[in-house]
Amino acid sequence: MSERKPYIRRQDRLWWASRRYRAYTLRELSGVGVAVYGGVILAGLYSVRRGPDAYAAFVEWLSTPFAMALHLVLLAAMLLHGITWFQTLPKTMPRLIVGGEAVPQKTITNAALGMAMLCTLAVVIGALS
Amino acid sequence: MADQARHAIELQILRYRPAQDDEPYFVSYKVDYTDEMSVLEALQSIKDDQDGSLSFRWSCRMAVCGSCGMMIEGEPKLACSTFLRDLAPGPVRIAPLENFPIERDLVVTVADFVKKIESIYPFIMPKEKKPVEAGEYLQTPAQMAAYEPFSDCINCMLCYAACPQFGANPDFIGPGAMALLQRYNGDSRDTGSRERLDLIHGEDGVWSCTAVGLCSEACPKLVDPANAVNQNKTNSAFDFFLRALRKEHRP
Amino acid sequence: MDHFDTDILILGAGGAGLRAAIAAAEAAPDLRVALVSKVYPMRSHTVAAEGGSAGVVQAHDTLDDHFNDTVSGGDWLCEQDVVDYFVSHCTREMIQLEHWGCPWSRKPDGHVNVRAFGGMKIERTWFAADRSGFHILHTLFQTSTKYKSITRYDEYFCVDLLVENGRVQGAVLLCLATGEFCAVTARSVVLATGGAGRVFRQNTNGGIVTGDGMALAFRHGVPLRDMEFVQYHPTCMPGSGVLFTEGCRGEGAFLLNKDGYRYLQDYGLGPAEPQPRNKYMELGPRDRLSQAFWQEERKGRTVTTPQGEAVLLDLRHLGRKRIEERLPLICELARHFMGIDPVDTPIPVRPAVHYTMGGILVDIKTASPLPGLYAAGECSSIGIHGANRLGSNSLAELSVFGRVAGEQAAAFAKEAPAVETPALLDRARAAEDRALGLLTRKGGGERHSVLRKEMADSLEQGCGIYRLGDEMREACDKLADLKRRYDGITIEDKSRAWNTDWISALELGYQLDVAQAMTHSAIARKESRGAHQRLDGYTERDDANYLRHSLAHYREGASPEIAYSPVTITRSPPGQRAYGALGDQLERAKKEPAHG
Repeated sequence: MSERKPYIRRQDRLWWASRRYRAYTLRELSGVGVAVYGGVILAGLYSVRRGPDAYAAFVEWLSTPFAMALHLVLLAAMLLHGITWFQTLPKTMPRLIVGGEAVPQKTITNAALGMAMLCTLAVVIGALS
Repeated sequence: MADQARHAIELQILRYRPAQDDEPYFVSYKVDYTDEMSVLEALQSIKDDQDGSLSFRWSCRMAVCGSCGMMIEGEPKLACSTFLRDLAPGPVRIAPLENFPIERDLVVTVADFVKKIESIYPFIMPKEKKPVEAGEYLQTPAQMAAYEPFSDCINCMLCYAACPQFGANPDFIGPGAMALLQRYNGDSRDTGSRERLDLIHGEDGVWSCTAVGLCSEACPKLVDPANAVNQNKTNSAFDFFLRALRKEHRP
Repeated sequence: MDHFDTDILILGAGGAGLRAAIAAAEAAPDLRVALVSKVYPMRSHTVAAEGGSAGVVQAHDTLDDHFNDTVSGGDWLCEQDVVDYFVSHCTREMIQLEHWGCPWSRKPDGHVNVRAFGGMKIERTWFAADRSGFHILHTLFQTSTKYKSITRYDEYFCVDLLVENGRVQGAVLLCLATGEFCAVTARSVVLATGGAGRVFRQNTNGGIVTGDGMALAFRHGVPLRDMEFVQYHPTCMPGSGVLFTEGCRGEGAFLLNKDGYRYLQDYGLGPAEPQPRNKYMELGPRDRLSQAFWQEERKGRTVTTPQGEAVLLDLRHLGRKRIEERLPLICELARHFMGIDPVDTPIPVRPAVHYTMGGILVDIKTASPLPGLYAAGECSSIGIHGANRLGSNSLAELSVFGRVAGEQAAAFAKEAPAVETPALLDRARAAEDRALGLLTRKGGGERHSVLRKEMADSLEQGCGIYRLGDEMREACDKLADLKRRYDGITIEDKSRAWNTDWISALELGYQLDVAQAMTHSAIARKESRGAHQRLDGYTERDDANYLRHSLAHYREGASPEIAYSPVTITRSPPGQRAYGALGDQLERAKKEPAHG
């Protein structure tokens, strides 16, 4: 019998709440926000299916202070989700070699973000016109 | 030797001696330090002058051997390249690398990690067989750029300490082993990616990873293990898909 | 005590040990190989080597050139037949490493690139950025996992060899994790345990470089050869001694004194030119550069830093791109450790002990005089470095002679008679008692850290870049005193598991024996040659009396006895060792036919 007796430290159950992982946890929660917003849109679609009265009620609900506040929160979640999504994007690809050197990950993120913003702009302009 | 300003700093070090302790506990030490002193040098001065029983791994002192990884103020760091001047005025909490069992004091169990890197077929399976007499395989700088950062891993395990999913699942293959796997898969001279596929599937393969990304932040050598793990999720998914298709076609 | 049996036992899993293990596994796949190391293989000090590994590749380069550079670099103390074997096998081994995946830096066409290095007439140093040793070590370690006949014992410390009937038949190991001993019996043993630079205060070495294998062989009657020759690497970090590769100078860096002057031209290495020229100026051999520093310091022309005197390594003119691409580790060390950006600021550097030219006496087949015992790498003295090693010859040595050692050990093991287990186990128990005795000795004695510091200061003083008889004598006396006091040290920590206090104390025992071999060999050599330079009257090379190797023989309870052995000269008779313009001049004169 040797002296050896490795000690196993339990992982903190609330590790995701600690300062080090806070940014990660917020990012993951933003995904919940995206799902909730999907629910809102689905609710709107369903109300269209149910008829003009239901749709009008839905539109009225949208202008309530609660719905406004909810949409602000969801907008923040969508933005966080989108930006962190594009930050993660280069991590999911093999290194892009152009001209003998690796393309910096920031460049890929910025390019993708740029394209996303252009598309958003196009949709908004299209919707407004 | 020019006179150096000397300051004092307190280090709180997590101690554990299996022979006499049931649990680890913090012990406080005071060290006089100069501006260029590293945490490793502080530990050495404690061992030499105050408490010879403090055990820790170290060797090269220049962040290339990977021995001296530990938690310094809650962050996984190499003790030899972490400087007291950046931690002043202290106190500085020092603990063994997180997510690993403690053998003693700041020494953790490394064997499981080594088994992981041994398991991924960490050697060239040559695409084209060629005797040594025929000279070197050609590899352009562009081809090398595709895998070179993954080959810089010093096996220090800071990425494992940073990864909460490894903390939750000790059988997760983990960032370091995946970096080495991708180092070989990405090498133009190698043709072993099929053999290595089996290792990347499932919860103990890449799928414990939820892209926390702190592994790449903790890495002292800019290896970017998060990239190695996450790009292989695509490979794993494709392989799963293709296998399912192939099964369908079998009578 | 635990006991396991194997066929080939390899102690040390750095570049040489791993290469030997692979070679043994390939030469004799049916034999068992036990690869033992006190650290995990990737921590071995090979990992810190930066610059590169030599191997003739260029069309205008020849084996003769590599041979001549090495022999003259060693100040003609090399075994020339061994050097011949060495240079003719380097390139093959470098290609073998490449086949195993080593990421050598490439030219645009995909062929391996080579860089200039100190003392080499033509560029032949293969390099992997400035992390060549790191890449070689990891390539060898990862490749070694392919071979099922290799069993590794990681973090096992060797406390003794097992020698019975004049033949080595195993070793006694201490498992660091448990603190328990085990005996390993084997038909042949390879020592690949590295150098002994940690006996000096300022050195580039990792903590593990404590001369373990050298001391083990020494104590069992194997002579240590040429121990007085210790290499000071000219460009190291003041204070810690951490290495800045010679590759910097290969890329064109300058060494400046405090007046911004390239002082090496005052020491026979000039003239100074803006572009690096092989064997000129900053590309001169390491011993000459370190000696120049010492002289500059004497003249008061060095820069004063809080960690001591230094000169400046100037890379600014290389430009950011070149520096960051070719010398990334140097950048990291300067920026992160010293807060200096080499792109716009010169780096203060000074010499520090780097390499042990001497070591365990072995022949061209890596066999020591003790049957069954082989040695390769820095722990050995096979005769290629002589009085001064050229940069990039050491990494090449690991592969060339690591392979030979593995193959020879396998061949020996095949023919060796059965091991005498009962007698060996008795000896093993005795070794265990001795090692435990140090641990269990009753308290109140000195701390080993005190003795270690005194030893290091003493070696720094007595066996420095320039040596004086009086100071060497003092170092010899001091070591004798330290050995006496060593018998009285006590370890406070009596536990067994991961007791690094105990391990350090055992390592100190090895270091004291090796240090004695160094100081006694040094004082006995009454000449100046290569890295052994004296200021006390013996300032010149004396081929008549000292064109010989020193051999230190261990004596129990007394200082080592120094004997001498001849040097094998085949085709390069000792000449004038010159670099810079004088070197070129002499070479031209050699080539001119004699006039009647």
